[in-house]
Amino acid sequence: MNYNPYIALLLFFGISLILFLVFRPKKGLFFLFKKTYKLNHKIAIEDILKLLYHNQTNNNSLTANDITNNLNYSNSLIIDSIEKMMDSDLISLEGDTVKLTNSGNEYSLRIIRAHRLWEKYLSEKTGFHHKEWHEIAEKKEHELTVEDTNKLSVLLGNPKFDPHGDPIPTSTGKMALKKGTPLSNLKVGSVGRIILIEDNPEIIYKQILAENIHINSIVRVIENNTTRIVFHSEGEKFVLAPIVAGNITISVLEKKEIDEENITRLVSLKENETATIIGLSKESRGENRRRLLDLGFVKGATIQIDLLNPLGDPKAFLIKGTSIALRKKQASKILIKKD
Amino acid sequence: MSNKNIKNILALAKELRWQIGDDYHDNLTESIYADASKIVEDAVTKDKGKSKFRLDTKIDKIVTSKIWGFPIMLFILGVVLWLTIIGANYPSSLLAELLLDNIHPFLKNLGTSIGFPWWLNGFLFDGVYLAVAWVIAVMLPPMAIFFPLFTLLEDFGYLPRVAFNMDALFKKSGAHGKQALTMSMGFGCNAAGVVATRIIDSPRERLIAIITNNFSLCNGRWPTQILLATIFIGAVVPKTYSSFASLSAVIGIAVLGIFFMFFFSWALSKTVLKGEVSTFNLELPPYRPPVFWKTIYTSLIDRTLIVLWRAILFAAPAGAVIWLISHIYIGTESIASWTVHSLDGFGFLLGLNGVILLAYIVAIPANEIVIPTILMLTVLVTGISGGEGAGVMFELDSVTGTADILRAGGWTLLTAVNVMLFSLLHNPCSTTIYTIYKETNSMKWTLIASILPLVAGFIVCFLVAQIWRILV
Repeated sequence: MNYNPYIALLLFFGISLILFLVFRPKKGLFFLFKKTYKLNHKIAIEDILKLLYHNQTNNNSLTANDITNNLNYSNSLIIDSIEKMMDSDLISLEGDTVKLTNSGNEYSLRIIRAHRLWEKYLSEKTGFHHKEWHEIAEKKEHELTVEDTNKLSVLLGNPKFDPHGDPIPTSTGKMALKKGTPLSNLKVGSVGRIILIEDNPEIIYKQILAENIHINSIVRVIENNTTRIVFHSEGEKFVLAPIVAGNITISVLEKKEIDEENITRLVSLKENETATIIGLSKESRGENRRRLLDLGFVKGATIQIDLLNPLGDPKAFLIKGTSIALRKKQASKILIKKD
Repeated sequence: MSNKNIKNILALAKELRWQIGDDYHDNLTESIYADASKIVEDAVTKDKGKSKFRLDTKIDKIVTSKIWGFPIMLFILGVVLWLTIIGANYPSSLLAELLLDNIHPFLKNLGTSIGFPWWLNGFLFDGVYLAVAWVIAVMLPPMAIFFPLFTLLEDFGYLPRVAFNMDALFKKSGAHGKQALTMSMGFGCNAAGVVATRIIDSPRERLIAIITNNFSLCNGRWPTQILLATIFIGAVVPKTYSSFASLSAVIGIAVLGIFFMFFFSWALSKTVLKGEVSTFNLELPPYRPPVFWKTIYTSLIDRTLIVLWRAILFAAPAGAVIWLISHIYIGTESIASWTVHSLDGFGFLLGLNGVILLAYIVAIPANEIVIPTILMLTVLVTGISGGEGAGVMFELDSVTGTADILRAGGWTLLTAVNVMLFSLLHNPCSTTIYTIYKETNSMKWTLIASILPLVAGFIVCFLVAQIWRILV
């Protein structure tokens, strides 16, 4: 037998390397192949529609050139798709700029509805990390049929907003209105509620998520200049660059509406302090939220620390006569007012 | 009312429901809770100076303290394992003497005297009966000690504190603190450990605990580890240190299992399981004195006997297979020796041999019969004297006798080390596989749980074998 341990090892690592190259997540040959195989005109058309829709709502006009620059597809595919879209009356040309027709508008709303409903679904019914919702929904939106989205909507209780605050169009294309100001435009001292964390561009969105800024929380601006914006929210202090803060939309509150100023997160509770629960943050979702409600973490309950952990986390809290251990992440989504 | 009217009303209701928005359901739930707690506050009077709670707090402060928390935990786990392994020796040898040395020859004689043909006699008593008897003798005593002890700790209320202390470690690999408990339960029996994962109420963490439970070295595998460590590892060091060296080797294998458990928990939570719902909560109930006899009774009935019964159901056909493959011939060779020879090449690559691989295949029903099967097969294929004949599993009372047979079968230190590794890292026994299927109700997870440790075992043994041959 021609056995030699060196050759055996070499073969083993060779095969491992090949398997790694083929099946490596996202960049592996298998996935690249799958992607090019699945890439077709339908996906390109739907992505162009979305791009046009978003720019139209922001009053930007796009030329065919802008479209090729903005989307990560080959030029020929985009030009092909635009021709097809003209043929089926989804878009029209006004001089250089490409405009959505009525049916194009309807179609793009349908895609946006599928995307936002799927994000809502991921946030409520699965355990995917919130950083991944957008990316998964980007793929799924092209696969859902109209009946699928309607079923999904019923399953989720016909939600009005997706998890980061964007309105979900109804099956007839109606959308809840949201009026707000970008955080970067707020004056020092003004108070407001976060109503939307824009998920586009993704780099900025992920940065906001990493800061642990929660939707629906109240913010008070402390400092605002060209280099940074400092604000307080739920007892924590946040510092953001203006470009990042511009992606957070705030609904400014009038003086008389502000009654929730001393709210902090449960993580900040110290030993021997007692507090009253104000409620659960909007960031606590799905099964997690229901569990917490079941265990009695509801408005008005008093809470104190029962036990500290030798490793720091989780801590046990005394609530309604029971000792319940919660991890830091959960405790940061429970809002309290210290007594 | 006309149909049209009803349709309009439904449409209006839908529209209004949409306008009310997402907060409605939450507000409703919260107000119900708030009302309920208000009623409780008004109606129930509480004795605020209750002293009972203070004792609880005192115990809690000690068992979760930075200094004492972990030593207490390790000490208790150590005592439970020690009691199990040492304490099980005596009843095990008694049972073995009764079932294997007395009843077995008696049954064979009985068969001969009522005129059974030799093959029926052998099939029934050397095959089926022997496997079942073996499993009972090796499995019953440790489980009858381990499970009641564990249940007593559980009833007392100490185990949730262990989960509380350990959670930060398990969180790093995406698992739940309660997995510390199911893992410890796995040291007793993996099937029981898998059942115990019911205490984890988060779907993702529960699946992680189920799939990785097999990395806890179970009762059926401790004796294999101890035997091989005594024979081979103890022999490489001076005699005065030999028992210390073999003990460290066994503990080392168990710790390696914990390491693999953490590694695969992490890998699973980052890949195939990342979409499963994940929650966390851990209630720390007040301490209560355990109801001693009731606990013993229920743990014997609920855990020990059920697991034992399942093991017997699976062991019986395994015994039949072991006897049959040694007695059915293809040409001039029995199926057993034919399979052993064809597995030899692959076995050599892994630093094992064909006998060991075949033993692990036919002993899927119970890890307890691996060593007896290996001994029987070794005698069968090498043709040395000893043993009880083809298809009859046996074990020797003297360690040196066992060592001689294994060495005659071509075993080296490398073989022993790799068998110890492979005994830790191979597919779960069929009782556990069946339990995993019943608990998860999914072919997919059962398959992953069965194959994952086997692949890990192949890779680890392969790497160890090649590096060993290069260096030694």
